[in-house]
Amino acid sequence: MDRHALHQPSSSSSSIPATANTVWTDASPLLEVACKDLRDGELIHVDNFNLYAAMSALEIMDPKMDSGIVNRYCSVDEAIEDGVAPVPISTDKTTDVQCMIDIMDHLLTCEATWHKGHSLAQTVFSCAYLLRPERTSSHALLHSYCKVIRATCKAVITVVSDARTHEEEDLFTMAYGLPLSGDGDEKCLSLLNAVEENISRQLRACKAPSSKRKPLEDIEPLQTNFDLEEGYCKALLCRLRFRKHFFHVLTCMRRPQGRGLELARKHIASCISELGVILKSAEFLMSNAHGTCEDATEDRTTASGHQAIGFDASLNSRISAPTPPRSIKILSWKKAIEYFEKLLHDLDIICSYPLDPSLEVLLRFVAQFQKAQPDLVARAHLQLLLVQDGKLYGKCPMFSLIIRAARLPEVFLHHDIQKNEYVVQLGQLVINMLKILCTNAAWQRRKLGKILQDWRVIYVQIELAFRKDFGEGSSISNGDNASARILKHILIWVDEQTYWISHRFLILGFELELYSPSEYCMVYWYLYVVLIRLAEKTHLKMTVSDGSAKQKGKKRKDSPKELARDAKIPPAISFLQCQICLAEGLTVLLAALRNELMVLQSPSPFNSEHERFIQHFELLQKACIPDNISYPSFKESTSYARFSTLAMYNYFKDAQKIAKEARSGFSNDPDRLAELRVLEQVAEHNSIALNVICGVGALDPSLKVSFEFIHHPCFATVVVKRS
Amino acid sequence: MDEALEREKKEEFDASEVEYVSYGGEHHLPLIMNLVDQELSEPYSIFTYRYFVYLWPQLSFLAFHKGKCVGTVVCKMGDHRNSTFRGYIAMLVVIKPYRGRGIATELVTRSIQVMMESGCEEVTLEAEVTNKGALALYGRLGFIRAKRLFHYYLNGVDAFRLKLLFPQPGLHPSLPMMADRDDAQEHDDDC
Repeated sequence: MDRHALHQPSSSSSSIPATANTVWTDASPLLEVACKDLRDGELIHVDNFNLYAAMSALEIMDPKMDSGIVNRYCSVDEAIEDGVAPVPISTDKTTDVQCMIDIMDHLLTCEATWHKGHSLAQTVFSCAYLLRPERTSSHALLHSYCKVIRATCKAVITVVSDARTHEEEDLFTMAYGLPLSGDGDEKCLSLLNAVEENISRQLRACKAPSSKRKPLEDIEPLQTNFDLEEGYCKALLCRLRFRKHFFHVLTCMRRPQGRGLELARKHIASCISELGVILKSAEFLMSNAHGTCEDATEDRTTASGHQAIGFDASLNSRISAPTPPRSIKILSWKKAIEYFEKLLHDLDIICSYPLDPSLEVLLRFVAQFQKAQPDLVARAHLQLLLVQDGKLYGKCPMFSLIIRAARLPEVFLHHDIQKNEYVVQLGQLVINMLKILCTNAAWQRRKLGKILQDWRVIYVQIELAFRKDFGEGSSISNGDNASARILKHILIWVDEQTYWISHRFLILGFELELYSPSEYCMVYWYLYVVLIRLAEKTHLKMTVSDGSAKQKGKKRKDSPKELARDAKIPPAISFLQCQICLAEGLTVLLAALRNELMVLQSPSPFNSEHERFIQHFELLQKACIPDNISYPSFKESTSYARFSTLAMYNYFKDAQKIAKEARSGFSNDPDRLAELRVLEQVAEHNSIALNVICGVGALDPSLKVSFEFIHHPCFATVVVKRS
Repeated sequence: MDEALEREKKEEFDASEVEYVSYGGEHHLPLIMNLVDQELSEPYSIFTYRYFVYLWPQLSFLAFHKGKCVGTVVCKMGDHRNSTFRGYIAMLVVIKPYRGRGIATELVTRSIQVMMESGCEEVTLEAEVTNKGALALYGRLGFIRAKRLFHYYLNGVDAFRLKLLFPQPGLHPSLPMMADRDDAQEHDDDC
């Protein structure tokens, strides 16, 4: 460290402010002397020269680091002067149309690559035509297409930056120095419509039988080869229409309170059908491609297989500072179309959501939506739909959402307690949670882990407020104090919701592949413990709200019919019970494998399983979820697991039975019915596997047991093989 | 092409012929840079290398076989968010013909050993989710996958943040809630 001590005169400690009397001197000679002190390879190290500074340092003229290095061209204008992006693209009208279609296709692949996480500058704006909006004005087709592309990019950036919850996807919205708003781009649709109309007429003209062609003869054909006229008109039309409908989708979805969703769905359907036509146009375009196809492979970025004119990814390298861009691989044309099909499908799911006021329904919807791993653009749209102006769907106050979630009657929707500071804070926590649930799984899990603490704190605060205002002895049973009742219900719900978050936190770990097989035992054990608490809390919430409802109706509680109904387990609880059995079964099986076969243990030189337990569940433990749970409790409950006990008590059989019985409760819920079926499958499979292990010989060394996620993303299927 | 094949070819050698040395000065720097530039995707400036090896020479090791440098590890350690004294493995490289023989494990074990003796509470690093070899290696050393980092690398691939917690005497210390400082590489919210 001393070798890098500060080569600074001590007087430089800069607490003396510059004033009018300050005398400025040239420090160059001093610096020169200081430099002579330095030998080759020495480094001046000051406190603020941290890793960031080191990594931001450039090596001039190193192509991997110096973004100012001259690539092919010094500037966009130089590239244009050199003929990179001619207008018209070709003086031959047929070639011009062919090139135009290639440009459209390549732009689509660039756009998909951008959505998938690369910079706008290196993808869409690698197109020189987009970079100089005024240059294309003489070419109506090219001009209108460039306009709609810029306007679309701008709209998408707005959605993502409005939804912004984290910096991981920063790259997406970075558009510094790019001409995102050309003059009149906002009117892109009228120009696009005019161009579309013109090509439609050209199409009609060429399709008309020759006898009737006369009155239409004033229409100039699209290009010069009559045999190709229809094919090219159609290829252009589907591309233009796709852009038009896609732009409409984006604008409709941004209407407040979800008012444009129905219309958006119509445009989504049109987009998907135009994509189909675009895909079909490939055959025609490939067979008539101008010149030789350089790249007719699966990697091609255009339908024709011809390389598009006017693109150079290095054009923007200078505005991409601080880090010079790495070269990236643009998606193939086929992959780009697949991307847009998926995006549109995801957007359609959002648009078809009935904006249900129940949080329970909403949370299930979001979880189901996330299962398909939607990309950033779709997730941003969902988030903006869910939370607008601090309200659910922009219209439903958070308090009313909480009242419904806590199963309180609607008469309390306008109760004054909504002004209570903790209730207001709770509303904020719900908003925050909803936003987090719309982010990518990796980020989502981290944030869910963090907010557990907040949910715990608010619980304690509300509980304290409740005790203070209503005293230790206050009980819901007297029921005459509305505030007490509301707070009591809210508390029960907050507790349940906290366990819901914990549960999601744990299961996302499977999706993200954070657990290794030697850790499965502790993960399933923890999942089991959390699921039990979640079921308890849910049940409590139901019982309390049913109890209050009954009390209000002054029904006699002891009627036999009533009791019979009470005894019936609600479907939501059965659903959890089935998972509890699966988690417990897997825990015991894994523990038995470890205890008897000595497998799935991972001794390590530097730490033990205890440390790995602490690390995996740190955030849950910090929030006391659940209370009094620690590594010793895990050891205690698993160290005696043996196959003999498993043989006597088959948890998987229970899970299977519960899953079967619970089905009838979900006849109106296809998603949960489907999941129940999968759970049943896992239970059945594991039950058989367990019999094999216990029967044929747990101690047979040729038996290989593995855990695979072939049916369910988080409940493993036990696979037994003989080696 | 031939050169690439040459590089892929497995080298026949005895593990005892490999010599491990701690970073010994400027003459080792080109060797380290050469290996890392060859094998890792991210470009680093010379300042980055110097940042590590000048400040924590005791945490960097090189592996030599018959005088040829075949592997290296580069690390750092320091206060993380003013609460945890943490080791960080920045680069670990073994050239292809020498892989699968425990050289990387030996290199990284030496660094971790020094970190532990220097009072580190934990060690972290990032690895590409597709880098099965590295994930298995660190798994054997007791690292867990603490979190997944979405699109972490410039090539768009996700990373895992791997963490190794050393056994703590008594209970683990209470962690201050606020953090005012962050490291450059860790553009994560909390690491």
